[in-house]
Amino acid sequence: MNGNKSLYPIWLGVLGIAILAGAVAGAFIFMQGHILFNANDVLIWTLPLGVYIFLALSSSGLTLLSALPLVFGIKKYEPFAKRLVFLAIATLCGGFVSIGLELGSIFNMIYIMLSPNLSSPIWWMGAIYSVELAVLALKFWKMHTGDYHSGFSKLLGTASFVLALIAPLMIGSVFGLTESRATYFGPVMSIYCLLMAVLSGTALFILYSLVVGRVTGAASSGECAAVLYDEFTLILTYAAGIVTAFTLLKIVIESSTTIPAFLVYHKFEHLFGSIGVFGTEVILGLFLPFVLLLIPSVRGTAGGRILASALIFVGSLARHMEILLAGQSHPVGPKAEQFPQYVRYVPSGWELLVLVFALAVMLLLYTLGERYLKLNEAPTG
Amino acid sequence: MPRYAMVIDLQRCVGCGACSIACRNENNVTEGIYWSNKITETVGTFPNVRYHYIPTLCNHCGSAPCVRGCPTRAMHKLDNGITMHDPKKCIGCKYCEFNCPYGVIYFNWEKPHKFWRSEEAAIPGGTASPKELVEKVGGQATPYSNPERTGTAATIRPKGIVEKCTFCDHRVAKKQLPYCVEACPANARVFGDLSDPNSEVSVLLGKFHPFRLREEIGTEPHVFYIRGYNPARYRATKGGV
Repeated sequence: MNGNKSLYPIWLGVLGIAILAGAVAGAFIFMQGHILFNANDVLIWTLPLGVYIFLALSSSGLTLLSALPLVFGIKKYEPFAKRLVFLAIATLCGGFVSIGLELGSIFNMIYIMLSPNLSSPIWWMGAIYSVELAVLALKFWKMHTGDYHSGFSKLLGTASFVLALIAPLMIGSVFGLTESRATYFGPVMSIYCLLMAVLSGTALFILYSLVVGRVTGAASSGECAAVLYDEFTLILTYAAGIVTAFTLLKIVIESSTTIPAFLVYHKFEHLFGSIGVFGTEVILGLFLPFVLLLIPSVRGTAGGRILASALIFVGSLARHMEILLAGQSHPVGPKAEQFPQYVRYVPSGWELLVLVFALAVMLLLYTLGERYLKLNEAPTG
Repeated sequence: MPRYAMVIDLQRCVGCGACSIACRNENNVTEGIYWSNKITETVGTFPNVRYHYIPTLCNHCGSAPCVRGCPTRAMHKLDNGITMHDPKKCIGCKYCEFNCPYGVIYFNWEKPHKFWRSEEAAIPGGTASPKELVEKVGGQATPYSNPERTGTAATIRPKGIVEKCTFCDHRVAKKQLPYCVEACPANARVFGDLSDPNSEVSVLLGKFHPFRLREEIGTEPHVFYIRGYNPARYRATKGGV
């Protein structure tokens, strides 16, 4: 943070205010309950859960990227390993803030571990992400103390990779195993979540590295930067292509099926608007950046990469929200007696504060990590 | 061990809603939450229209998605087939509500019985406030709270957890019928042991062709519907071209 020393305290101040506002919101939610959210017995899960899904999946994506040097031994990625693991930890912490407030209390998160139900995808999701956080923290500690290659350190790397593969599948199964909500596409939702993890995690890493490089004036040239700029962008392009293909297939099936649940689903009012069957968040947050990444002259510039990765990253949250809400947009069974045929959603101020709180915690950890934890460090020998 | 089930005779049911009122009183259910509810439907085009009414409640499914998905086992099955909810174990994740194909689980979004917490008198200086009334009669959250609900479930369920019909397990344990069954003026609800071939429910299920809600998803609901309320007549005809 040498480049903009005067901005540093201002940045910390902004994050401090955001965290304070989030903490106050958390206290109100704890005291007054979820009546503060624009959720109801039809729209059961709203923005706080969407933010958790988004950040948890992004964390998994970062962990999967860290496996390139830490599990598969690709040396040229080693300078990024420590930062990737740290970003995965910080991002997951942000996700935990959001799910903690969705549950109303941090104690409820802990209680999940004390009364387990092994047939519950939510239990597995919570358990795997908790273990993943612990394994990542241990792995980071080993790397921070210079131990990249001992047997235990490698075991931790492999364990975090396996956990990061399974955790998105568990998030997907929370929705996919719900027999009564066909619009979540059953087990396919797990595959979608895994793909989205790779996509949003890679976008976050590129965006973060380029922005931090510009702000601090560091790591903007040299062999490491070349690898980052070229190869991670290529991974992002591949991931965006696969998710684009998947999304197109999903839209085609949704549009052509005659399954009654989907006929109701068609009438859902898109949260961010749409052009025909294509939601705005799909057009601007997936199709557009994918096209941008396919153009060599755009893909090759830092500005183009920042734009594409920012669109993908923000678009990922929007797409998670859209999928989350669309599947709950109409009342189930007798709830149609008390609720309108289609329920609309706009987040409440309290829900937005949960988003702000989660992002502020994540960004504060990023900031402190960059300053004190030597995230550019590469293994010696 | 008995396997409890309910048969609802739609020919006897007149849609009076006594079941819902009885349930609300017996189980201290707050406003906005419906352990006992209904699905209504109007079919046809005027003047050839008809109104259909199906009473609903927790189906106490044999293969209950809410029980399978609950991360803390707050939602669980009793040996007698009743799907129960333990408020002490509930973390308020709402997955059971999300997962229920029948829309019969509700969440306490705020502290229940809001009306009865009001300190504002209906006629200032003339009447007591709802809160004063509750305190005067020694009620819990409402002046008419039923203490007999206490025991297997909280008398009043707090904010932040879900709740649903329990087949009045507290009454069944005392060999009493669920209160909605007791209160039905038309004897449209029949409760009993499905594992006993001579029970009233088994007899009715053998006599008529029952249906269950959303049977195709394999949840094995234990609320059965027989017959239908439709006194309409029509002239014998073969149609026409």
